[in-house]
Amino acid sequence: MVQTIHRDPALFYWILFPISIVMILTGVLRHYATILLQTTPKKLTLPALREQRQLLHGINLRTNYSAISSASFAARKNYLVSAYKNGDFLKDPDNRGKPAGNPMTDPAAMEGMMGMMKGNMAMMIPQTLIMGWINAFFAGFVIMKLPFPLTLRFKSMLQSGVATRDLDVRWVSSLSWYFLNLFGLQSVFIFILGNDNAASQMAQQMQQMNPSGAGGMFQPGQDPDKMFKSEAENLEVVEHEYILKGVEERVLGLV
Amino acid sequence: MPTERELAISPIVQESVQHNTRVISNIRSLTASLFGIASGILGLESYAGFAFYLLGTFFVSVLIWAFLAKGKQGEYFQGPLSELWAGDVLGGGMSFVLTWTLFYGLVRA
Repeated sequence: MVQTIHRDPALFYWILFPISIVMILTGVLRHYATILLQTTPKKLTLPALREQRQLLHGINLRTNYSAISSASFAARKNYLVSAYKNGDFLKDPDNRGKPAGNPMTDPAAMEGMMGMMKGNMAMMIPQTLIMGWINAFFAGFVIMKLPFPLTLRFKSMLQSGVATRDLDVRWVSSLSWYFLNLFGLQSVFIFILGNDNAASQMAQQMQQMNPSGAGGMFQPGQDPDKMFKSEAENLEVVEHEYILKGVEERVLGLV
Repeated sequence: MPTERELAISPIVQESVQHNTRVISNIRSLTASLFGIASGILGLESYAGFAFYLLGTFFVSVLIWAFLAKGKQGEYFQGPLSELWAGDVLGGGMSFVLTWTLFYGLVRA
């Protein structure tokens, strides 16, 4: 049995389109707010910068070792390993061996946490506001029919405020249109804002679940001395092989 | 899986890989929205609509394979099956459902 409900076509103009437009504009706003809230990284002092760069130097040497000859690799390795072990590059050599300070007291760490807080706020506030707005203005009636059937369990969620027991689950209220927008607008944002936008909260939540490794290198509370020691060990176990070894045969093989 | 030595001789550049994935995801999100509009106007319901989306996505994948990758998918993707043929299908599915519902509602219901 197919249920039909005669609805005012004005429902579309006064509910469906406003919700969509508000969702899109919120996404654009969130994108630009995220850009504005981004704090430029603070200038590091010379020793701190040296500490960071020299560790990166070691990592780069370890990943790209095949590009240089064995002799130059050995020279670089010996220099870096001995310097790492001596702690020559440390920001404050007096603090060696002491436990790391509480990250709450370190101002640099606090700044990173503030940045994360700001990102979270930029997500949470619009979400709550729009949910409240839809619940306050558009609750209590069905506005559209989904093109696919759902199980009965969705009834309480998608037809909230509509107390009709026999109504098909496919008839849904405005809140479900909000959810569809929430999940499906990512492609619209790609057209408006480009591919690496910060508009969609779904994408941001995914990002937070698996944070990239690049930012986590100098996490607060980590002892740089220990990182240098482990990097020295990593460098020492590298089995060097020059990439140009046997290149003649490879080139001749190409011909 | 290529060995470490092969990777060092012909390295995989991360930027190019990202560029390829971005191209795929751009195409997917555009076509998914368009397929949603089409199936909404056609008035497809339930399984017919999802089948329409999968068929359309497959068609688009064939076009990508033929025109963008010029038939040599192995040169552009490390795992052609997951990156070209099934890449971003679920993410596009969300957009598909959105436009499908919108146009179904506008045209039919």
